Amino acid sequence: MPRQGGNRHSILVVDDDRDILLLLKKWLEGGDFNVVTAESAEDALMEIAASKPNLVITDLFMGGMSGLDLLARIHEDDPLLPVIMLSGQARIPDAVKATHLGSAAFLTKPVQKAEVLEHVERALRINHDRSGEQAIQKNVIYRSRIMEELVDLALLVADSNVTVFISGATGTGKEVIARAIHDASPRRDKPFIAVNCGAIPEQLLESELFGHEKGAFTGAASRNEGLFQAANGGTIFLDEIGDMPLTLQVKLLRVLQDFEVRPVGSTRSYPIDVRVISATHQDIDAAVRDGEFREDLYYRLKVVPMHMPTLAERREDIPLLVTHFLGAYAQKNSKPVKRFAPEAMEYLTAASWPGNIRQLMNVVDLCVTLSKTETIPLSLVKKVLQDKPGDFITLKEAKQEFEKNYLIGVLRVTNGHVANAAKIAGRNRTEFYKLLSQHGIDPAGFRQARST
Amino acid sequence: MSDKIEVIVDSDLEDLIPGFLENRMQDLEKLQQAAKRGDFGTLQSIGHSLKGVGGGYGFDRMSKIGEGIENAGRTSDLEAANGRVAELADYLSRLNIVFE
Repeated sequence: MPRQGGNRHSILVVDDDRDILLLLKKWLEGGDFNVVTAESAEDALMEIAASKPNLVITDLFMGGMSGLDLLARIHEDDPLLPVIMLSGQARIPDAVKATHLGSAAFLTKPVQKAEVLEHVERALRINHDRSGEQAIQKNVIYRSRIMEELVDLALLVADSNVTVFISGATGTGKEVIARAIHDASPRRDKPFIAVNCGAIPEQLLESELFGHEKGAFTGAASRNEGLFQAANGGTIFLDEIGDMPLTLQVKLLRVLQDFEVRPVGSTRSYPIDVRVISATHQDIDAAVRDGEFREDLYYRLKVVPMHMPTLAERREDIPLLVTHFLGAYAQKNSKPVKRFAPEAMEYLTAASWPGNIRQLMNVVDLCVTLSKTETIPLSLVKKVLQDKPGDFITLKEAKQEFEKNYLIGVLRVTNGHVANAAKIAGRNRTEFYKLLSQHGIDPAGFRQARST
Repeated sequence: MSDKIEVIVDSDLEDLIPGFLENRMQDLEKLQQAAKRGDFGTLQSIGHSLKGVGGGYGFDRMSKIGEGIENAGRTSDLEAANGRVAELADYLSRLNIVFE
């Protein structure tokens, strides 16, 4: 979006007070911007469709549709269009809500010229400080086109508060990109809290996320503010969101709608200002179709969807990543940096990498540890890769595999008699049937086995 | 009460000021009528917009008076509203604008 010649940035100003419109128009035109105006949110929506502005500045309270509703409508169609809110009142709940809906700034009237121009330039990323870009470059190692596009998107979303949803296979670096977005955002000095929703038992996850009062349940010996409140002002990264139980999905949706959390056992809610980034390796579209993931929550989470490519889709990054891991290993262990023989590096670049970057890192670490020489030979790389450290399945997959084998075992013992099998498993019949259906096991198959 | 109140306004805004002041005179008239009727909603709403618009143009005191009218409207305080509306009338009548 260059500013030269006829390519000046265009700004839509929305206010039902004509004197404010004239004032802002004057200031912004003086700052070399093209300005269009609208006296209502309804007119603004038509103007956006017609003139495609680069930025919107809107009043909060107007007759008819409010500025917040306008902000929400704008971001339904274009989550990356920056919107600056103007309000006659510095009311914190409005500011928090505007922040959550992704406003670029929240200014209180009367506004001053310098303040408006500064926020406009920041929102349009003109003369912006490059610290955000540097933060991402430092954390994300790449030279591939596919990653360049992803990093551009990450930089674009970093400045705003829009909710980001990261999909991609295990080990592709979803948390790395989430952290990079946080580090490049104005929230960088506040906490970044990562939660693996699949690793915390269902009963604990609610109190871990939203907190609990003392005595809220057995074992709640003291009050816990929860991770959402701990991340206040910063970013919470909800990894493996697809593993979140449905009951908790409802509660998370409420938090995202109301921007407040209510700890377990508490009668009051606490306002929160937290940016949410979520991620999963699962096919959430399929989970939504199967009724395992709430569609309304999914839409709220994936305002900006990002997809992490597999390592095989960005092979040109492998040598860079390998060099990075070699350096990191040496630094961590205070050892001299080793290197791969050229043919070993070629082999690494061409390998299949089902476990993606995490597997690559493990292989590099293992090769460095096992290599007796400073240059790691091809033979060692081949040996390490044949041992297939990346073929380890996740704990969740291992548990599922065990569960399936267990169910098959009890059905075999009971000759497909579901009531008896459920009794052995310590589950009621309904639950047991549910488990069987989750694993695609048909008990009738075991009854037939008995008759033959 | 005849002393002029000097307000320094950005010369870029010079062409906007006549229209701006005309609108404020209309606001004043509406406020006086609203105060007479005891129409606190109108007092609050016009006070709010005065507060929002005054300071941007350089009329900081206008924003302060607007805030007072808004508060008087919100708390249904007729005495305060009358006092603040009279203050606005006095302020507008004594303005001496200097463009810089």
